[in-house]
Amino acid sequence: MLQVTTITRRVDPHLALDLYDPEAELLLLHFGPQHPSTHGVFRMDLYLDGEIVVKVVPYVGYLHRAVEKLCEKLTYAQITPVVDKNDYVAPMTNEQAINMAFEALLGIEVPRRARWIRTIFAELQRIASHLLWLGTFALDLGGALGGGSTLFLHCFRERELILDLFEDVTGARFHYNTHTVGGNRHDIPAGWSAKVKAALDVIESRLPDYLSMTLANRIFLDRTRGVGVLDGELALELGVTGPILRASGVDHDLRRDAPFHAYDELEVRVATETDGDCLARAKVRLREIEESIRLVRSLVDGVPEGVLNAARPIKQPAQFKIPAGQAYVGIETPRGELGTYVIADGSANAHRLKIRPPSLHALSALPHVLPGATVSDAVVILGSLDPIMGEVDR
Amino acid sequence: MNEHLRALLLAVVVVNTVLALTTFAIWFERKFAGRMQSRLGPTRVGPFGLLQPVADAFKLMQKESIRPRQADRVLFELAPLLGATCALGAAAVVPLAPGVAPAQLDLGLLFVLAIGAVTVLPIFIAGWSSNNKFALLGGMRAIAQSISYEVPLLLAALVPIVLTGSMDLSEIVRQQAEGRWLAVWPFFLGLPAFAIFLLAMLAESNRIPFDIPEAESELVAGVTTEYTGMKFALFYLAEYAHTLIASALAAALFLGGWDGPIAPGLHWLLLKTFVLFGFIYWVRWSLLRFRSDQLLSICWRWLVPAGVALVAGAGAWVAWGPTP
Amino acid sequence: MAVRPRTVDDGSSFEHPLYTTLLNTPGLSVSVAALDDLLTWGLTNSLWVFPMATSCCGIELMAAAASRVDLDRMGTIVRGTPRQADVMVVAGTITVKMAPRVKLLWDQMPEPKWCIAMGSCAISGDFYRELYSVVPGIDTFMPVDVYVPGCPPNPEALMHGLLRLQEKVRASRRGEQVVRDPNPALLAITKPSVPRLVDAERTAEIAAAQEESAATSTAAEARAPLEFEAPAARPADEGLERRLHADDAAHFPREGPALVPVEQHLALARQLKAEGFRQLVSIVASHWPAGRGRQGAEPAESEHFEVAYLVRRVGAGSRLAAWAVRLAPGEPVASLVPLYAGADWQEREQYDLVGVPFAGHPDLRRLMMPENYSGHPLRRDFASDSPAAPWR
Ligand code: SF4
Repeated sequence: MLQVTTITRRVDPHLALDLYDPEAELLLLHFGPQHPSTHGVFRMDLYLDGEIVVKVVPYVGYLHRAVEKLCEKLTYAQITPVVDKNDYVAPMTNEQAINMAFEALLGIEVPRRARWIRTIFAELQRIASHLLWLGTFALDLGGALGGGSTLFLHCFRERELILDLFEDVTGARFHYNTHTVGGNRHDIPAGWSAKVKAALDVIESRLPDYLSMTLANRIFLDRTRGVGVLDGELALELGVTGPILRASGVDHDLRRDAPFHAYDELEVRVATETDGDCLARAKVRLREIEESIRLVRSLVDGVPEGVLNAARPIKQPAQFKIPAGQAYVGIETPRGELGTYVIADGSANAHRLKIRPPSLHALSALPHVLPGATVSDAVVILGSLDPIMGEVDR
Repeated sequence: MNEHLRALLLAVVVVNTVLALTTFAIWFERKFAGRMQSRLGPTRVGPFGLLQPVADAFKLMQKESIRPRQADRVLFELAPLLGATCALGAAAVVPLAPGVAPAQLDLGLLFVLAIGAVTVLPIFIAGWSSNNKFALLGGMRAIAQSISYEVPLLLAALVPIVLTGSMDLSEIVRQQAEGRWLAVWPFFLGLPAFAIFLLAMLAESNRIPFDIPEAESELVAGVTTEYTGMKFALFYLAEYAHTLIASALAAALFLGGWDGPIAPGLHWLLLKTFVLFGFIYWVRWSLLRFRSDQLLSICWRWLVPAGVALVAGAGAWVAWGPTP
Repeated sequence: MAVRPRTVDDGSSFEHPLYTTLLNTPGLSVSVAALDDLLTWGLTNSLWVFPMATSCCGIELMAAAASRVDLDRMGTIVRGTPRQADVMVVAGTITVKMAPRVKLLWDQMPEPKWCIAMGSCAISGDFYRELYSVVPGIDTFMPVDVYVPGCPPNPEALMHGLLRLQEKVRASRRGEQVVRDPNPALLAITKPSVPRLVDAERTAEIAAAQEESAATSTAAEARAPLEFEAPAARPADEGLERRLHADDAAHFPREGPALVPVEQHLALARQLKAEGFRQLVSIVASHWPAGRGRQGAEPAESEHFEVAYLVRRVGAGSRLAAWAVRLAPGEPVASLVPLYAGADWQEREQYDLVGVPFAGHPDLRRLMMPENYSGHPLRRDFASDSPAAPWR
């Protein structure tokens, strides 16, 4: 059997990997951009020796929608619905990140009520996002015509509960456009907290089912344990954040380490694992679902009274100007640190707006962890990195 | 002449019955999967969506038949035909009721196993001739998997042969009549052999957790990636027919075939077949998939040694066990 | 299923001579019509979907296949290969890099086939339509049968679209409507093209707009006064870490990260990494046309680039450090790849979009745009719907 060492140290991933021998007869497999398991339009060229991946060349940009250019063109008030579409699995946190950057530039203090509601939204979104991840990960493992799709559909069923909650508040299933500069646009309706708790009860009662199909399932363990090991130091250098970083043994979570929203009033228990493989990532995400349920439960009853927005509603977007200056704000989304770097020039449009997507950094780990895995593993590893192409390419 | 005509007629009847059952099986599976996934499955086409597979068949008939320019002309067209033939051929020897089997062969079991072994060829032919890398990988995986799992399948089938002393399926079933099913007594031989047979059968018919040759999440649609319309339908049909017939076979070998009280034999056979079939789909829609190397290691590390031990045990039982 | 007798001169979508002969045979026409209806019934009730799901709408497509809506009820299942599908549902934004692939996949589907454009992006490009990288609607390069509007359309809306498609198929099989406009020019298009945007008049318009925007940008200082009081710039502190300290939000240096000379940049990065800033957060390049510059500094008179680097020390008490370098056009900056593996894609992206060269990068290719693309779209002088965009 071919002995394969997993490459976790810096070998130039593009040019020469330990195993890559241009003389050898390798099968070049174009994986994507349209493939059931590439999580959107992502392409990787796999060089295969039998079923072993010897080299991988990833290509992104098939969904490059020029969001950053669009944000320079639009006024600040118009940007929120655009960035919704970046990470389309967690739109809430996109909106929050961008508006927090504007608030930082303006020096606005967001009212406590709005911060609490934002925290609830962020945590509910994390549950929904991780549920969707679990479903698609199961699809990668078990196929669309098998047990994977069963788990997938169950996860989707639970995710719908959360979308319903958001729909109650904002009127949209996703792409909410509910955050504005200085606070929130929509207040939570009466009786919402009871609905939230009911939905959380349902989700929590079904978590054991998911565990029995994943962490308690021999096949799942066999397929994920020791697969796609990413070492913590390399993950840091790559800028990998969120659950993937925590699964590699780095105890880092912006919710706790650089609190935003109402997290400074909360105690966030950060889930970490040390193995850095796909199993560790799955464990971290599943534990985060539980933790988010706990956080929302503790938040939803105590939403403080007060105003929802520190600023007056923006009537004329063209008159809404931000003083010249620069700001960077990073928040912890389900996928890691979503940063927004704004350079304002005093007008109603940004001079430059850069979004730092966690998925792009996660995906850039691929050339480092994939060589040595089989084609089946490649799909699993890609799934465990949870890339959202809308966010990667923007 | 007369005899040939009769055989022909019988063949037509059996093939069409199997096809009809297969359509039903497809509907059954879609409904079953729907229920497992808390949805409804087909409801709008015919009562309870019963006509859904029929509509699919009419649709597939009308689809354009595409052969990729670089594909191998002859083999590409041949593979689906071969696949369907192999899958249906095995139906010839399944005993339907006391004294009734489409073909009464002395070496019926051997025939079935031989045909079962051949079914991997059309899959590989399809994978090779499509000139598609996904299909090729699927074909390679199918070869590795089927040839490995052939061994435990044969070993498990040897147990009933040794215990009953016959290779004629009708004879094997007859010996199990009146509740003397092999899975019941001697259960310490029959049950493990039955389990191995089921597992190997899942692998042979490329069912989850052993469906790596068509692994949609990796290989798009595996060997059938390039097939359109009716050619794809033949593969699809062959797959289900294969599973169905293999279930019938397992029922005949270990569960007494047509044996059962009150109702006539055919009913019991159908019932047992569909219970096994349902079991296969229960497994399919609740488990994830193995990786190919894990799959092979299960076969060679566990199933084959266990099969050998069982065959030896069966020999010992026949030689020194209590005589009935 | 109703069996309708049909008259012979009933226009039919089949052109086979045998079919005509059969239709003209007395007594046979009824059964032929019945057969025809049967075939139509099969076709409409088994529309298998090929999910051309590129972005957000794709999630709603998945939701439509999921338990609550369940497309399987009407016999619609999702197939991963175009060869076995009948309906291509284009759900999501199609970019110039993706469009040729979509066309290819469409061509790989066997006839009869249909296309549903799901969501505003597929229909018209949504609000990305004026941008350099997005195709303004897939009907610029492939035929579309049903449009399902929304951003994103609800799963129910997609279901409705499929039901409308069934109606359309039935109608076209009855000969009531032409299946698809067999415009050979349209079918011959293999690359998306947007004629409306490349005509001479329009191009002149864009050039004028570009000039105008350049003119207004030089007059930046003449803009309206600030509405808000800018916080006072923090005094430059002694000590590297103090100087670069840039903790999120409130503490980020308002005038921009501390500028360091290009030559010292790599040494600084090395020093920071040794001090525990091991996570590369981001690399942001920005373009400053002549006459504009960062706030606080005296307005730089010449065109220049700034590249900001953000690194983080992780764990409890996490801190962010930031610095920036100022570059003349075309002047390279040392690549950070030897220090931070993540700089690889970041630098490629900034090179692609802003056009800053990174010296010593092992593989400086475009990341987002197609490799044969020319121009750097995130420069300030690149009009967003610039004719430099390849399909425009
Ligand atoms: S139409 Fe809206 S939801 Fe759909 S892909 Fe476009 S931006 Fe996303």
